[in-house]
Amino acid sequence: MPAFLESLRVSLGDTLFYGAVSPAIKILVLLFLGVLPLITYLVLVERKVLGFMQARVGPNRVGPWGLLQPIADVMKLLVKEDTLPRQAVKWAFVLAPCLVVAPAFIILSVIPFGPPAAGEGRLSWFIADVDTGVLFVIALATIGVYGLIIGGWSSNSKFSLMGGLRSAAQMISYEVPQGLSLVVPLMFAGTMSLVGIVEAQSDQGIWFLFKYPPVGLIAFFIYLVAGVAETNRNPFDLPEAESELVAGFHTEYSGMRFALFFLGEYANMIVISAVATTLFLGGWLPPFPHLLPFLSRVPGIIWFVAKLFFFLFVYIWFRGTFPRYRFDQLMDLGWKWMIPLALATIFVTGLVKLLV
Amino acid sequence: MSALKRFADKIMLLDLFAGLGITFKNMMKKKVTVQYPEERWEPAHRFRGMFRLDEDRCIKCTICAKDCPIDIIYIDWHQEVNPETNKKEKVLDRFDIDVQRCMFCGLCEEGCPTEPKSIWLTTKSYELASYDRWSNLYVDMDELQEWKVRPAYTDEEIA
Amino acid sequence: MNEPFAQSFDDGLSDTLLHRSEEMELNFGPQHPATHGVLRLKLKVDGERIIDCYPIIGYLHRGTEKLFELHPFFQNVPHTDRMDYVAAATNNLAYVGAVEKLVGLVVPPRARYIRTILAELQRISSHLLWLATHAIDIGAMTPFFYCFRERELILDLFEEYCGARLTLNCMRPGGMPHDLPVGWVEKCRAFVAAFPSKVDEYEGLLTENRIWKKRTIGVGVLDPETAIDYGVTGPMLRGSGVKWDLRKAMPYEAYAEVEFEVPIGKNGDTYDRYLVRMEEMRQANRIVDQCLDKLPEGPIMAKRPRVMKAGKDAEAYHGIEGPKGEIGFYIVGDGTPNPYRCHVRPPSFINLQSLPELTKGQLIADLVALIGTTDIVLGEVDR
Repeated sequence: MPAFLESLRVSLGDTLFYGAVSPAIKILVLLFLGVLPLITYLVLVERKVLGFMQARVGPNRVGPWGLLQPIADVMKLLVKEDTLPRQAVKWAFVLAPCLVVAPAFIILSVIPFGPPAAGEGRLSWFIADVDTGVLFVIALATIGVYGLIIGGWSSNSKFSLMGGLRSAAQMISYEVPQGLSLVVPLMFAGTMSLVGIVEAQSDQGIWFLFKYPPVGLIAFFIYLVAGVAETNRNPFDLPEAESELVAGFHTEYSGMRFALFFLGEYANMIVISAVATTLFLGGWLPPFPHLLPFLSRVPGIIWFVAKLFFFLFVYIWFRGTFPRYRFDQLMDLGWKWMIPLALATIFVTGLVKLLV
Repeated sequence: MSALKRFADKIMLLDLFAGLGITFKNMMKKKVTVQYPEERWEPAHRFRGMFRLDEDRCIKCTICAKDCPIDIIYIDWHQEVNPETNKKEKVLDRFDIDVQRCMFCGLCEEGCPTEPKSIWLTTKSYELASYDRWSNLYVDMDELQEWKVRPAYTDEEIA
Repeated sequence: MNEPFAQSFDDGLSDTLLHRSEEMELNFGPQHPATHGVLRLKLKVDGERIIDCYPIIGYLHRGTEKLFELHPFFQNVPHTDRMDYVAAATNNLAYVGAVEKLVGLVVPPRARYIRTILAELQRISSHLLWLATHAIDIGAMTPFFYCFRERELILDLFEEYCGARLTLNCMRPGGMPHDLPVGWVEKCRAFVAAFPSKVDEYEGLLTENRIWKKRTIGVGVLDPETAIDYGVTGPMLRGSGVKWDLRKAMPYEAYAEVEFEVPIGKNGDTYDRYLVRMEEMRQANRIVDQCLDKLPEGPIMAKRPRVMKAGKDAEAYHGIEGPKGEIGFYIVGDGTPNPYRCHVRPPSFINLQSLPELTKGQLIADLVALIGTTDIVLGEVDR
């Protein structure tokens, strides 16, 4: 820990320091200086990678390789007129984007970006380690749905309402397989705390993705598909597809409010990827710790970020490749295939744990 | 066996992975974007761009005006005696083309009987935008001849 | 305006108290990213199900058939480009074929072969555009860019031949305006050699993809009798299982001298029409290959009178197999160099008539897939 923080700890006392100052510092560094620019630049990365897959270069005019493009986009959205439909319910209209963005950031506060404090005077790489971490994550993900419903309803427009309700139905249906698939790493680890799960992967020497194949693989796959459906991304992005009739819950939003919805979508993408990394891919653990011990010297956060980027790439890859499901087929998939498969996986995991 | 293969296909999602593989492969390939305006795409030899007129070759037969499907060429000529050769010859008064409506079909160039042609579209110019309505849209005889950026008529095709 | 709806969809449940829903009238307006032009559809929907669909056209009407009457025959060829602007060469071909029948010109063999090559290249290009827009409407973004990448190559070939990329003006009554430029045949051969692997790429992305199959199998089934009743032609008819292709049934140009197969579908749904068009692209490639091999030497323009006149009350109809269906021109002469009347049989207009039939009972989300599969170009529908 740097000297000035050490002196602050001594002067304020341990409780105040670890209770108030260090979380504030971590929120500042990890969330506002880490995740927020990542979300903004994720927009650019998506456009570039999608362009590369489509045999074209993405944005490259604004700044070298288009690096100033997100700044230009943000400035444009900031100076746009802030419309409010006349018959709209004002408090709900204003609240909806916040309800989409806030839970994403709150979930990020329990996700371990790196190992816990390695010694007495050091800070850990996460903001809080809740004992019921996984439950916390799932519960907050559900609050995000409120944002969509309220946004769609408060716009006072037929199409927004239809789009919002469809979107909400999709998200609620895929919450169930998402939660069920998260039970499998829980059963492997025996603890709900996210830090505990990563440490269990470290103790057992194997990432939960590869444990008892194909159980871990199937649980991971269900979580990935449900995660893609949760964030309304291709191939499950019918509610916000432009070429369909209904333009979605965010039709009536413009300017910064729309930007918040947009950023909320990418924040949710990061959240899903981060949770998948933590629970299935070993969080901050380096690969092959016994075979290649020199990899352990690379700090944990680098591994975490690398795995996160892999997931984000998979998201963009899916968007570039697949057509989209029709809404009834989407619900079909969720209820008739994902949930039984998830339940079967839990059952098999239980059996395996009992017998092995 | 094929039923088993189809079952395995369905479970292992091989069709989806095939699609993912194709996009991944294309990600690595060279991009087809032409960075205009730094790189400019050169049209083919026969490309029908903006036209040019050469008054010296023109024999004022008005076939181009008659051939135009939308009648946008306006030609006026009169006969007068050339003091140098003492022969009557045609003099071009007006040769205006209304570019607002031109569809660059090339029928005027096809109809022109002179060799080499007096009106031609193979000038390879396609950048015709202007900031105001009257600078590029209704061109008269002098402007048609004076296009410095448009190359002269050439018959050669490069192999 | 009194626009009557056809019979309503009654599933027997609307009367019960449990299932009381109102029918909503929805305007799938002229401005919409998915209607491929300015097409307006008035939909009567019950929740998500479409009960009826009433297309309203005319937003792109330009009076082309009247324009034909104002100028002599050979000057009207640029006007024909602009009807089906995606496949200009086949429009040109139908028109010049009709004029040749009317005036009585015999086209030399080299011109016939060049026309066949251009028409088949245009078929490939039109189907590529169809695939691009159909795929992006259903949600797959990348085939759009891949198809346009290949389409650029075809448009480059056209540009080298006649000078334009889209509104070609590449045929004249009696033959062709220019001969093939130096090096064109080699470039065309290079394209023909590289194209089948590209079609494999699109098929790898879409044909076996389970999401694509779910979106297109069973959607918009058109049975053969209904298709024939509506007068539907082209891949829509062949997708329903009817073996009718004008290139085989009434050969024109050089089609009698080349070997190719005509793909026929089985079920008449969107997936079958997709497969039919993909296979047609491959067969068109095959035809171009054979024509390049068999290209004869000789003149490219028939001996034609200085002023082409048709006899009084002479009439001729010439229909060809365009990429979208049978495109035909019916020309009536009146002794002057101008036609007296020139009527077009546009395939998109007649295929569009089957759209209400196709959409009955489907979901709104399928509507875009169905508009894509009918492959309409509004320039042709409205003229």
